[in-house]
Amino acid sequence: MVLNSTCNYNILDIEKENNRYFTSKGKNMGNEAIIMKNVCKDFKVLNRHEGLKGSIRDLFSRDYKTISAVKDVTLTVGKGEMIGYLGPNGAGKSTTIKMMTGVLEPTSGEILVNGVVPYQNRTKNCENIGVVFGQRSQLWWSLPLIESFKLLRDIYMVDEKDYQDMLDLYSSLVDIEPILHKPVRQMSLGQRTLSDILAAFLHNPDIVFLDEPTIGLDVSMKSKIRSLIAGLNEQKKTTVILTTHDMGDVDALCKRIIIIDKGMKIYDNDIEKLKSYFGAYRTLKLIFEDGSIEETVIDESKTDIMDVIKQNDRQKKIKDIQLIEISTEQVIKKIYEGGDI
Amino acid sequence: MSSNETMTQGRKRRTNNRLWALTRAGIMESLQFRLGTFVTLFANLIYLVLVYYLWKAIYDSAGTDVVNGMSFNDTMIYLILATALFNFLEMFVVWDMSRAIQSGKIILDLLKPMKYRRYTFWSYSGAHVMQFILSFVPTFIVVMIVTGGAIHIGLNMIWFMISVIFALLVNFNIEMIVATICLYTESTWGINIVKETIVLLLSGASIPLAFFPDSLARIVKYLPFRAVYDTPLSILLQKNGSDEWLGLFSLWGQQIIWIVILSVAGTLFWNHSVKKITVNGG
Repeated sequence: MVLNSTCNYNILDIEKENNRYFTSKGKNMGNEAIIMKNVCKDFKVLNRHEGLKGSIRDLFSRDYKTISAVKDVTLTVGKGEMIGYLGPNGAGKSTTIKMMTGVLEPTSGEILVNGVVPYQNRTKNCENIGVVFGQRSQLWWSLPLIESFKLLRDIYMVDEKDYQDMLDLYSSLVDIEPILHKPVRQMSLGQRTLSDILAAFLHNPDIVFLDEPTIGLDVSMKSKIRSLIAGLNEQKKTTVILTTHDMGDVDALCKRIIIIDKGMKIYDNDIEKLKSYFGAYRTLKLIFEDGSIEETVIDESKTDIMDVIKQNDRQKKIKDIQLIEISTEQVIKKIYEGGDI
Repeated sequence: MSSNETMTQGRKRRTNNRLWALTRAGIMESLQFRLGTFVTLFANLIYLVLVYYLWKAIYDSAGTDVVNGMSFNDTMIYLILATALFNFLEMFVVWDMSRAIQSGKIILDLLKPMKYRRYTFWSYSGAHVMQFILSFVPTFIVVMIVTGGAIHIGLNMIWFMISVIFALLVNFNIEMIVATICLYTESTWGINIVKETIVLLLSGASIPLAFFPDSLARIVKYLPFRAVYDTPLSILLQKNGSDEWLGLFSLWGQQIIWIVILSVAGTLFWNHSVKKITVNGG
């Protein structure tokens, strides 16, 4: 179809757009939660050989290869912003997050989080950030949730009053009473994720990193968690960096998204623009008199929808017409795959 | 008082608070596993029966009542207390850390606003308090009653307690260094077994150091392991000149020197290696 030629986006165009975004935001310094400038991260990996002989040879091998996980990433995140940080598996998302939290040191480039260089002051940086990894829990497994909260209160040295205020806020946003005295190991995955998110916000950090917070959750729990995150962001003006593969999360929470692929930033702009950016796509669904259905994805900047309808109508009688907006998920999928829808 | 001073004091108080909070959590967590404590006590009993008959045979075949300056009773008291001390001092830093690295969970500990070594130590402290109360104290009381006055009750108990805290610190530092080595080897089991064997043998926990041949005894003297078991037990049993101030201070001094050396080495090693771990996992 025509699509193959029209779908390929131009990397250079995106770069331009990204830089414009960066410089316009960069003017009002001091309002940034995170600044990354030309950040690269390389890993040295041993070249492994096959078989028993190869394994023995590997013991003494100095044959390393360098893998660039993150290549020249520049971005800023404003205070109180909620950013969707997207990319296919292995794109370098976790590596970037680890650099922002100070666990990893970048090979080159600068990072500032709340005005602190994270890997140089990891402990200090940690006082001002919160993290949730959807796959693991930072809560004390065998203790009731309230005990984990008290521990985190003491570890982060939170004032008693601030702690009480936070708990009050929590109970206004979600119904925490039933889980507060439940040991974490007896919780359902949804309850545990909810608790982990509350735990990450407990010390009122400036930035919270959410790494796939809704993974494995049912639809109603997902929406509960989304409204909780939105509520906390609104009430506490917390900057949120959300990594996810669920476009529902992004649609519900984020205004701006950053997409990273193969270590490079390929998109950094409003989510609204994303759809038009890669062409004004809509799906045209035609249902014919004889019951057959035809679906066509149309780039409206290149093709006129009316033309397509007329063309089809000449061949068969059309009974019904549907125009479907392209979803974020489809756009993202297209970007990850680098072309076709 | 200036406001600055009150602030630093407030911060200090809260720092102490968070260490206590970790200890408290550890105590509560170990109370969840009370069955484990009873199993440990039972296993000890079996082990001690074995030790009793082994050493009885050794003394019978020696033909004398006193071997290497220790009577059968001395040896038994020493070994029973060493076993009790072992249960109290035993740490699982190596296991826990390697599991945390494999699962990637370690990142959550690294993202606490505390130094990782400090955080780890205080997370374990609660379990030690519980082990001391549930395992060491009952064993000690039983030994005391059974031997009927063979253990001197006096200030040596307090000096012993101080020495035990030092021993705990030496042991923790050894554990942390071995755990850090495991980051590189990625196999935990073998190295942990080697560590366990070396520590138990060279610290005098399985055989009193008095029984070691001279050449080995001389080497052991310059190794940190004896600071874990032999030193506190010597102080408790008033051996090795610990009934005099000079001897007591020199034993404590050795422990403190080892704590300083091992924690400096361990910290440097850890800080260097922590950059490596984070490559793995998630």
